[in-house]
Amino acid sequence: MFKEGQIISQDLLWEVTKVIKVKDISKIYENGKIEVEAVKGVSFEIDEGELVSIMGPSGSGKSTLMHILGCLDKATSGYYSLNKQDISKATEKELAEIRNKDVGFVFQQFNLLGRSTVLHNVEMPLIYSGMSKKERIERSKDLLVKVGLGHRMDHYPNEISGGQKQRVAVARALANNPSLILADEPTGNLDTKTGEEIMDLLQKLNDQGHTIILVTHEDNIAAYAERTIKLVDGRIKEDVPA
Amino acid sequence: MIFETIKIAFQSLYSNKLRTLLSMLGIIIGVSAVIAVVSIASGSQAQITSQISDLGSNLINISPGVSRGWGGSISRSSTDLFTLQLGEEIEKNSPHVKRVVPTGSAGGLFIKGNNNFRANVVGTEEDYQAINKYYPAQGIFFTDYDVKNSTNVIVLGSDLIAELFPESDPVGQNIKYNINNRTHIFKVIGVMENKGRGITGNLNGQAYIPITTFMNKISNSNYVSNFVAQANSSETANQALDEIKYLLDNYISENDEYNIFSQDQLLTTINDATNTMKLMIIGIAAISLLVGGIGIMNIMLVSVTERTREIGIRKALGAKKKDILFQFLIESLTLSSVGGIIGIIVGGLAAYFIAQVGGWPFIMSISIIALAFSFSLVVGMFFGIYPAYRASKLDPVDALSYE
Repeated sequence: MFKEGQIISQDLLWEVTKVIKVKDISKIYENGKIEVEAVKGVSFEIDEGELVSIMGPSGSGKSTLMHILGCLDKATSGYYSLNKQDISKATEKELAEIRNKDVGFVFQQFNLLGRSTVLHNVEMPLIYSGMSKKERIERSKDLLVKVGLGHRMDHYPNEISGGQKQRVAVARALANNPSLILADEPTGNLDTKTGEEIMDLLQKLNDQGHTIILVTHEDNIAAYAERTIKLVDGRIKEDVPA
Repeated sequence: MIFETIKIAFQSLYSNKLRTLLSMLGIIIGVSAVIAVVSIASGSQAQITSQISDLGSNLINISPGVSRGWGGSISRSSTDLFTLQLGEEIEKNSPHVKRVVPTGSAGGLFIKGNNNFRANVVGTEEDYQAINKYYPAQGIFFTDYDVKNSTNVIVLGSDLIAELFPESDPVGQNIKYNINNRTHIFKVIGVMENKGRGITGNLNGQAYIPITTFMNKISNSNYVSNFVAQANSSETANQALDEIKYLLDNYISENDEYNIFSQDQLLTTINDATNTMKLMIIGIAAISLLVGGIGIMNIMLVSVTERTREIGIRKALGAKKKDILFQFLIESLTLSSVGGIIGIIVGGLAAYFIAQVGGWPFIMSISIIALAFSFSLVVGMFFGIYPAYRASKLDPVDALSYE
């Protein structure tokens, strides 16, 4: 789908270790006649294997940035590449494929499909990537065992606890072994203890080499990250390694 | 992938059983109406056709018509032209006509001992047997001798035996026939075989006497009710019909009318009428299918709105536009095809039971099942495409933040 020539932009030579490269991206929403600039010329890079947190108060543009990083939305201007693919030029169909293969989402609301079993939820990205049934069931089971839910595979999301739901979401995020795990307030709906368990799980995944971006407004969650990017009013206020 | 999608579609339809049923109702009613009507019409048509061709497709019925009074002239019936002589003329002058049989009938009360039974008595000739392929099972039919001499002999239809002679042998016994306050005594010389209900009425429920006896003693007139002519063969039936018409047009004055039709024409008329009826009801059923389709579209739009978040999640996990489109289209197709299948079953059962009651064969052609089913699929496709399209073009960010 992506040929080498297409991927590497002429003026930005790729450094092999960079998973994410963001250069001067902006997002402008048109709300009737009023234009709102949610993200104003943000630039940063993220190395493979990093655990980075993006912090900021509400309205700081961190959700918008997260949507752009997760390929759910496109920046109005600027350059963004994920895993050597130029997202700024991707079509809607290509974005869907990138979300499928290169991004794993962990949401605050868990966002599991209530009518499907835990196992089927984890299978979902694999269904869309076209993996054979036998393979994907095997892979989903492995992932569920990995997050400690080997005994809950046939349950429905409403039959398990919040912490377990988030573990399912993590397993689902890992399904296609993505280059980026994007966790949006992953502990927002959990009590402190379960929240810590989820963070430990993410930490463990990071230790295994997964690149993770944590979007949060809680300092103690951000503290897990090696590096924190602070957004205020659509701009980066500070970008500090821990 | 397609099986997964169908499974998901079934799950989501199953989780809203009542709603699913209600939205399928239009399709169910439409399809079952088509199936039932076509089956019932085909069954009864097949029965009528077989009854008529049983009688022979070479029969021609001639009866007096009523002429309308035009411009001051008085309307009158041409009954008084239907004499026995007319029958003989037809038989003699039409080369393609094999034989002509006159009939006349009247209703009255048969009495035997303490039993009585109300039935028609039919006056006719010996050839009545050959024309209707209807013969006595017991005893004999009357002959030309009886017709010539107006004898009081009678041949009974099989229904009359059970009522009037429950125990004894009827042949050779006398029976009373009461009509217009006069009682006639007939000698039973035969009992007819059992023959099903025909287009000419229930043959089993009648009794047969010589035509002259009927005219001289019962109707007291010189006229018969009608003639049945038999052509030499089915192929020459139309020629025979034309000959008879030509003859009658010369014989009968301009103002007089008569009715003439062959079994073929009768068959065509009945088939035309049945087909028209069939088309009309199918038309009504098509409206029901249309309404059913709108119902499906409505429920699919509701479903898309309700599941906006699910669509967002699926898109975040990598579902492409076409995956979502496909999923909702499969769902509406599932809805309409399940409705179609239920409709086929309901319609088939209804047709089956009605056929049992009506006493005709149950006919269900594969082609009509296939047609009804594919029509319900088309409805599901047509009315499902818009909601599915709406679902597929939802923006993932908006869909994910939908509450």
